Order: sequence, then C-alpha cells, then structure tokens
Amino acid sequence: MAGREAIKRAVQQVRPILSVDREEARKRALNLYKAWYRQIPYIVMDYDIPMSVEQCRAKLREEFVKQRHVTDIRVIDMLVIKGQMELKESVEIWKQKGHIMRYWKESQDPKPTDFLSKFIQGV
Amino acid sequence: MSALIRNLGVRIASAGLASKHVLPSVSALSHRLSSTAAADAKKPEKPTVRKPDAVARTHLSDFGRYVAECLPKYVQKVQLTAGDELEVLIAPEGVVPVLQFLKDHHQAQFTNLVDIAGMDVPCRENRFEVIYNLLSLRFNARIRVKTYTDELTPLDSACEVHKAANWYEREIWDMYGVFFANHPDLRRILTDYGFEGHPQRRDFPLSGYVELRYDDEKKRVVCEPLELAQEFRKFDLAAPWEQFPNFRNANPPAEVVQPATPPKK
Repeated sequence: MAGREAIKRAVQQVRPILSVDREEARKRALNLYKAWYRQIPYIVMDYDIPMSVEQCRAKLREEFVKQRHVTDIRVIDMLVIKGQMELKESVEIWKQKGHIMRYWKESQDPKPTDFLSKFIQGV
Repeated sequence: MSALIRNLGVRIASAGLASKHVLPSVSALSHRLSSTAAADAKKPEKPTVRKPDAVARTHLSDFGRYVAECLPKYVQKVQLTAGDELEVLIAPEGVVPVLQFLKDHHQAQFTNLVDIAGMDVPCRENRFEVIYNLLSLRFNARIRVKTYTDELTPLDSACEVHKAANWYEREIWDMYGVFFANHPDLRRILTDYGFEGHPQRRDFPLSGYVELRYDDEKKRVVCEPLELAQEFRKFDLAAPWEQFPNFRNANPPAEVVQPATPPKK
C-alpha cells in the first residue's frame, strides 16, 4: 500500500503533456479516433487507394487496438499527438499514396508461426 | 704632391670609417641573436593555439555570476568551457524566463538565437540535453543556455521569445522526440512523412528500421522492415590508442564559475 502511494506521488510530480488524468487522455484518444473515422472517406477519395472505406476503418481500429496495453497517461498523450500529426499530414495531402498504403504492409510476408513454415523459410 | 697626400688622407679616412662601420654591425648581430634566444626561452607555446583572453574571461564569469544571482530559481550552474565560452545550465521549467531575461536585459541583449542543438546521453536519467546558442550583436558576445529533459517531459517552447526557435524546435522534435509545449506548429521537418522514430537518438540504428524500394508490380514505393543482426547493434567506441597526446595536459573542458558570495544560512 505504501509502495502504491509512493508511485502515485512520483506520478504526480511529473509534468503532464496534455492530459492530467486518465479520463481526459481517454477522451483525447476517442476524439482522435473519431476525427480519423470521419476523414477516411475523403482520404480514400483523394489518394485513390485500392481500398474500400470499410477496410480503412478496420485498419484504423487495428492501429488503435495495437496500443491498447498502454496505460501511462503521458505515453497516451504522446501517441495521440503523433496520431494527430499523421492525420494532418494525410488530410492536407502532404503524404503520397505509398505513405497511406504503408499501413497495410502489403509487400511483407507475414512471419511464419508454425514449425513447418519456419523450417521451409529457414528461420 | 698635395693631391696625392689628399688622396691618401681620404683613403685612410675611408678605411677608418669602414672599420668603424664593421665593428658595430657585428656587435648588433650578436645582440640580436641573444635577444631571440631569450624570447624563445620565454614563450615555448605554439603560436597557432589561440589562448583565451584573461580580461574576457573575467567579464564572462562576472556576467555568468550576475545571471545566476538574478535568476536563482532557474540557474543551476554556470561554467566556462574551452577557456572563454560561457554556459548557463538551467532547470527545464526556466527556458522562457531565462531566454527572456537574456534578450531583454539592457546589459545582455542576446537578441539573436543562433541555434538550438540537441544531445542524447542514454545513461542519464534525463537523457536529452537541449542547448540554446545565443548571440548579442550589441556586445559582440555569445552565451550558451543548456537544459535537460527526458522522452516524455515537455519543454516550454521558446517561440514566444525568439521567432527563430520555431524551426529549430521542430528539428529537435523530429530528431530527438522532445515535445515542446505551446509550440505554434510542431510537426516533422527533416524526415519523410510516415517515418517512424527519431533518428538522432543514440538507440536508433544507423541503418534505420525500414528500407524503401520501388515495387514494379504495385507501381509505387513500398516500405519493408530491415533485419538487424544483433552484433551490429553493439558499439565499442573507445579507441585502443591515445588520440590526442598533445592535449594530455590540456585545460579542463569546463570550469565552474562559483557564486561571488556564499549563500546565507
């Protein structure tokens, strides 16, 4: 218990990036998700990518769920800031088609998981 | 006859003059030789090495002491590096007040922000150092303001004090990932869109994490992760030989400027 209080105090001492508590960080993450979600049809249209809006939304969800384990408020804030910057780059068409398609990692073969495919690939 | 005598006399006189001339010139030469030998014994240093001016040093350390007295809340240490370069080491929350003070104080007028540099020392608790190089055109003086931060602690942006800080801070953000609070337009400046990571961090591999190539089937540039062999990640930077033997007894890189009066207790 004392240890937990010590951790709390240490957490209180650091300077926040944007959010002061978990609820605010959660709201920021949700807002970012919504902003991306609304921009996806325009991104699909502007960049002329060979993906449907539904596929893009599934990818968006996947990218957010990938960071699900993050609990530190400042790390969440930093991720939200970077996601916001990325959204701006996409919306302003500073990126190109290849940058958008990079999320799907199409040219990469998935890593082998079972023994036989590992053996065949020589990993 | 009289002409002959006159000739002789002239010749004798000229010979006497010549002998008089020869003797002092020899003695002057020997004198000069001895004087150069004495000068060589006095100054054994190489003339190519610039030595810091003692007067400038005292002025700089006095000014550093003055800054430390004016801003005791933020200034943690004042030092002179390389003989005559003044450095003020401040707490991270004091970036804006210290830069504002140095800019607006009548005896400083460091109105010119020459550069903002970053430094990464992963073994430290606050691994990043951010270094502001300032120039006072009025007094022909330079000063360096150093502060520190870690990956997640934001620094205050100096944009409200110096307009020039805008791009420099974007560069620091891009290269080191130091976040600047209240920056008007913080985004990448050197790396490509979609680039992940901060390349000037010491733990960023020299080859990067991904490689790009043009894919002929897809008709666009694709991005693929790079396989990093683990042994290439281990760096042994210490050289086996001594690199600068001439500087074995050189001055210490930084001399701390002590405050003038010890603080009262």
